[in-house]
Amino acid sequence: MKHSSQTKIILFLCNWGAHAAYQTLQDELRAIPDQVHMIRIPCTGRIDRALLLKAFAMGADGVALVGCDPGTCRYGAGTTAAQRNTTDTGKILELLGLGKERVRFATVLPEESEQLLAFLHSFLDDLVRLGPSTIQQQPAVAELELAVDSDQRLQQIIAAHDIHACQDCGKCSSACPLALIGKPFSARGIATAVINGELHQESVRENVWSCLTCGLCYERCPSAVNFPAFIQELRHLYRQKQSQGDESHGGFLHSLMRSMASAELKPKRWQNLPEKLRIDQESTTLFYGGCAPYYDIFFGKHLDVQTEKILFDAIGLLNFFDVFPRLLDDERCCGHDLLCAGDKDHFQKIAALNGERLNNLGITTMITSCPECYQTFKSTYPAQGIELNFEVVHLYDFLEQEIDRSAVRFTPLDRRLTFQDSCRLARLENRAELPRQLLNRLQPASYEEMQDSGRAAICCGNSGWIGCDTYSKAMQVKRLEQVRATKADLLITACPKCQIHLKCAMEDPFRLDTPSVEMLDLTSVIAQTISWK
Amino acid sequence: MPTLENDHPTQTEIIVTGFGGQGIILAGKILGMSASLGDHKESTLVQAYGPESRGGACNAQVIIADRPIHYPYVQTPIILIAMSQAGYDKFSGQVRKDGTLLIDQDLVPISEAPCPFYGIPATRMAEKLGNKMMANIIMLGFTTAITQVVSIPAAKKTISQSVPKGTEERNIQAFSKGYDYGLSTLKGQERRAAGQPGAIAQ
Ligand code: SF4
Ligand code: SF4
Ligand code: SF4
Repeated sequence: MKHSSQTKIILFLCNWGAHAAYQTLQDELRAIPDQVHMIRIPCTGRIDRALLLKAFAMGADGVALVGCDPGTCRYGAGTTAAQRNTTDTGKILELLGLGKERVRFATVLPEESEQLLAFLHSFLDDLVRLGPSTIQQQPAVAELELAVDSDQRLQQIIAAHDIHACQDCGKCSSACPLALIGKPFSARGIATAVINGELHQESVRENVWSCLTCGLCYERCPSAVNFPAFIQELRHLYRQKQSQGDESHGGFLHSLMRSMASAELKPKRWQNLPEKLRIDQESTTLFYGGCAPYYDIFFGKHLDVQTEKILFDAIGLLNFFDVFPRLLDDERCCGHDLLCAGDKDHFQKIAALNGERLNNLGITTMITSCPECYQTFKSTYPAQGIELNFEVVHLYDFLEQEIDRSAVRFTPLDRRLTFQDSCRLARLENRAELPRQLLNRLQPASYEEMQDSGRAAICCGNSGWIGCDTYSKAMQVKRLEQVRATKADLLITACPKCQIHLKCAMEDPFRLDTPSVEMLDLTSVIAQTISWK
Repeated sequence: MPTLENDHPTQTEIIVTGFGGQGIILAGKILGMSASLGDHKESTLVQAYGPESRGGACNAQVIIADRPIHYPYVQTPIILIAMSQAGYDKFSGQVRKDGTLLIDQDLVPISEAPCPFYGIPATRMAEKLGNKMMANIIMLGFTTAITQVVSIPAAKKTISQSVPKGTEERNIQAFSKGYDYGLSTLKGQERRAAGQPGAIAQ
């Protein structure tokens, strides 16, 4: 336990009004608590949610943003932005089980030094009462000393993934959606460069961080060079060399996931669970939700996505078939995105914590509707040496089995459908047929596959929140053009992230001509149309 | 299980109908034999062969009773199992109002009937199991779940003894499939009656 003197408050102070009040306190030698670490900033609006969360990921127990009254912001919208960022971050902290009180926004006028002092003292009192943050400080990358010489490690990676087997045939490039959209990018180029010792050249590095790990090249490669896995290893090497990847959204999502590697953290993950859903904490079937509620808070600012509803629909469907699952209130992230981003260290911490917790629950089955959770628990954990003592089942498998033996029917749906495959489910887990079995049961006005579908489907534009750029956007537009070509008015998805990324392209203010289409997850469509005969 | 109240309190009259090649007679035979050899009741079987068994409407008439049966022909069945539209058209007028009608819903696509009715895609399910010829056995499983006219052990035993050697296990699987679907149908009806026909969608 940290003593109260070790409590850490990060105070972001607006340069214009609040800082003057702070200076008065300093000039008058007033007792500003030692726990306060002040950072002077041009405007509270500039401290985005990624920075707020990063402060916690780096060991803060509380973060305060102190600026100007709405309307007096020198830049106009700074205060509004800061308030919104504080609220969102508070909601995330609430889900993480830390409590939203740990992040605060306040306004003071230059002459209100007394109020500022009172605010700081009461914040400190509250934090002492709350106790220390359960997020363990994340080591800076520099501290991750290399266990083995990186060259030696590189040779191991090349051997393990049989990169020398590459025949330089170019099939990967002719399949890679990034290359096809015109990005100067070549999978085979990465392979050759790495073999030639050019791993740290800027262009190679950029390519490694851009890869979508979508697996389309692996699908076509005659030598079965597993690029997604190879790329993850290279990213891990870069990280050890202190080279950060190009994390989207200021690294907010990665900070969030890294925070989950803290053993003490006890998230309160299911706060929004609708009352009418039935769960049973004694059940031997666990439903694993995944990161949807965090996404909804974070992306609610720009995009109207409601991915948590998919989870509630999934539980509704389990209930429909008389399964009342257990839920883990302190459910953590599965770690997928960290591994994808080459952050093996935090992935392994999370995986170990999850393995320990889940193996001790006494469950026989874990059902999940998230393709990444499915892949990660089913395949990645065992591959990384973490054995699970229960079966990992995708919700679609459960549904297909139940629907097949039950007297149920589907209400006709007067929509024209098409389907966006999840790359994890369709290619990396080789289950492209699974969602289609369910899609075939629906009663839509029409159903048409896109030009590239199933194992050949094009990715939604991003994996693991890494390397999103204008080429990703161009790819998404291409994909949405394919949707348009099917004349569908409802795009069915199988991964919450497909919805987020594709929606992002649809709402891009710089691409107003991007085709827009309504999206609904397959789980939700089934939940809305299934009924007993 | 519906029983006759007035004349023959313990007599259950059944017609199984379909077209030739569906194993209609075999289904009737299995019902009768399950009742007599398995459940130790009396039973009779009248089978309509002739030109009908080669594609037209054919039928098996089964009576199951606790006492000796004097007249084996069925005039007003209390259970009608219809696996073809022609068979349904021929016999639906005879079925009792308090009877039970069981249909292959793909082959007899009706939306109303003279008595309560239950549908199952038996032929489609049999195709999925790898043999269309097992639709009759699926139908028997379904009938057993809905009407309990014979017991499960009796039905399973008779099926094992009546189907070609080597196919016993698959036929038992088919019976269970139909039986489960029947139970699920009853459950669905309960849910509908309770006003919860669908999943709770958010
Ligand atoms: S498809 Fe495979 S063998 Fe061909 S160039 Fe690409 S990595 Fe090499
Ligand atoms: S994994 Fe996808 S994005 Fe990466 S090289 Fe292969 S095809 Fe291209
Ligand atoms: S597509 Fe949009 S939501 Fe997805 S990573 Fe890129 S910027 Fe973020």
